[in-house]
Amino acid sequence: MDNPDMIKVDSPRKVLIIEDEHFIGELYERALLRSGYEVTINVDGVKALSEAQTNAYDIILLDLMLPNLNGIEILRTLRDPSATPNLKAKIIITTNLEQRDDIRADIEKQADGYVVKAELTPSELVEFLDNIK
Amino acid sequence: MGFLLENILFGVTVYFSYQYGGLPIYMALACGAIVGLICFSVFSVTISNAILMPLKMVRQAILHISPVADEYEGAPDPKSLKIGRDLIVNLIGQLYQIASVAEHELVAAKGEKPGISHEFIASTMPLPLFILDDSETIKYVNQSASEYIGMEVDELVGKNIYMVLDMAFPSDSTFDRWLKDVKGKSATASESWERVRLNVRENHPTLLFDLAAYYNQSNSDGNSTYIILFDHTKQYSQDDQAVSFVALSVHELRTPLTLLRGYIEVFEQELKGNITPELEDFMEKMRAASEQLTAFVNNILNVARIDDDQMELKLQEEDWQKILTHSIDAISLRAKVRGIELKLEIDPGLPTVAADRLSIQEVINNIIDNAIKYSGESKEIKITSKLNPEGLVETTVVDYGLGISTNILPNLFTKFYRDHRNRAQIGGTGLGLYLSKAIVSAHGGNIWVKSKVGSGSTFGFTLVPYGQLSKDKKSDNGDDLIRGAHGWIKNHSYYKR
Repeated sequence: MDNPDMIKVDSPRKVLIIEDEHFIGELYERALLRSGYEVTINVDGVKALSEAQTNAYDIILLDLMLPNLNGIEILRTLRDPSATPNLKAKIIITTNLEQRDDIRADIEKQADGYVVKAELTPSELVEFLDNIK
Repeated sequence: MGFLLENILFGVTVYFSYQYGGLPIYMALACGAIVGLICFSVFSVTISNAILMPLKMVRQAILHISPVADEYEGAPDPKSLKIGRDLIVNLIGQLYQIASVAEHELVAAKGEKPGISHEFIASTMPLPLFILDDSETIKYVNQSASEYIGMEVDELVGKNIYMVLDMAFPSDSTFDRWLKDVKGKSATASESWERVRLNVRENHPTLLFDLAAYYNQSNSDGNSTYIILFDHTKQYSQDDQAVSFVALSVHELRTPLTLLRGYIEVFEQELKGNITPELEDFMEKMRAASEQLTAFVNNILNVARIDDDQMELKLQEEDWQKILTHSIDAISLRAKVRGIELKLEIDPGLPTVAADRLSIQEVINNIIDNAIKYSGESKEIKITSKLNPEGLVETTVVDYGLGISTNILPNLFTKFYRDHRNRAQIGGTGLGLYLSKAIVSAHGGNIWVKSKVGSGSTFGFTLVPYGQLSKDKKSDNGDDLIRGAHGWIKNHSYYKR
């Protein structure tokens, strides 16, 4: 049954959610689908990296604490042109882990955005992504 | 001399009071005594400052150079002199120089090679030692220093100390400032600092140590400053792990908080228009409570980071009206669920301010949250912002609620301090104002409170307009200004992280 609150978009932007907390991924998926995005969720670091390297996504929401391969390693690989040439996706770090300022600054340099999950509701996250060109 | 002067003035005062003033003899005597006493006191103080204190300084310097048992008092501190300080500093400097030359001549007369024993001690001591000349150029480093920072002696000698040691201090009291302060004002000076952080270079582990420095204005061999490092990397790193514990705990709190806020939003979206106004009100209160919990978790984390000097603020040019409006929007739900209206008045045309947006928003959040908690039956909180007579952007938050008693006000910005009268009824941990003060101070502003029991409180703080920052406080390339929550963290403008 169609949800009347869902926004229909002709060329929906594709989002890859790399998040091992199942319920958080579910909430983000719900909010993104309602706003007309296409969504894929991946919970494992290694599999998520492979998926991201297919270059089929416009936005990647990347958690830092993941099983098998952590988010920082994934970020480095995606930013390495020899490992992931011509990546078009915007990478947004979504984390609840607190970092030292110098470490966070280093991560932010490599990513296109940095979000503390507890500080944004799913709708606010979607609004944030809507403003990314 | 003082007695003579006192007696003369006593006699003159009595004579004139009695002969021409018409005072009874006993009153004339009393006047004379008072005038004489005042004169004697002034004379004594002047003699003390002009003659006795300087002589005491010189004697102390002589005993410092050549100690006598039971009379040693350490190096003199001419800063306490009110008269003739420059003269005494130079005189003491000359004494130290004469002593240094005399020692060299004595050693030479004995047929010993001067300095061998000192150099042997310096080269073999297990503590890193740097010796600088008057322009802060490294003249000597011992082997321990070379090994400690992982650079050869040849790479170090001849370099400016700040090009080699990128030191970060836990407060505004830095080695650089101390050296600038003592040069030209003191013949000798010594100082120490705890928990200094040293970033040597990329891929080299950060070192943590205590630092001791000794300055001597007039050493005949041109060595002016001695620096010794006491390594505590292991111990202070363990302290850092306490902060990591807080960070991990915060992560564990934030995860369920993320879910809580997410599901509340889902319910609000799905049930809108389909539930009673009472249930809608409950939903709003749940959302407000979850936002408050988020703010509290952030407070815990930031206090831990401030206490460990890990909080770094980036001051950028910011539109204050935008920041204030956004912050008030974010907290308005918490006020609304208590039936409190937030009224905002901002003077038009306020200049841009130097602010770290996220942290200054926490200040606004904490102060307004406080006002909400202490509003009692009052239903209004007024927030104003204007340019004050000193040219600073001043923001005040006024509530008309319970108020705070005067004897509690001095402790209000102390960590964990809370008004004991209201502790049982009003939630809070005493972290918000402590954190706010640290952040506002790091912004170069002031924070204050005025209050009256039963009438409410006014909290205020100032921020510096961006254009007012002096040149030497801006970074060399004009980019963000970096400040630790205790103040400046860069030791010297040459050095960049």
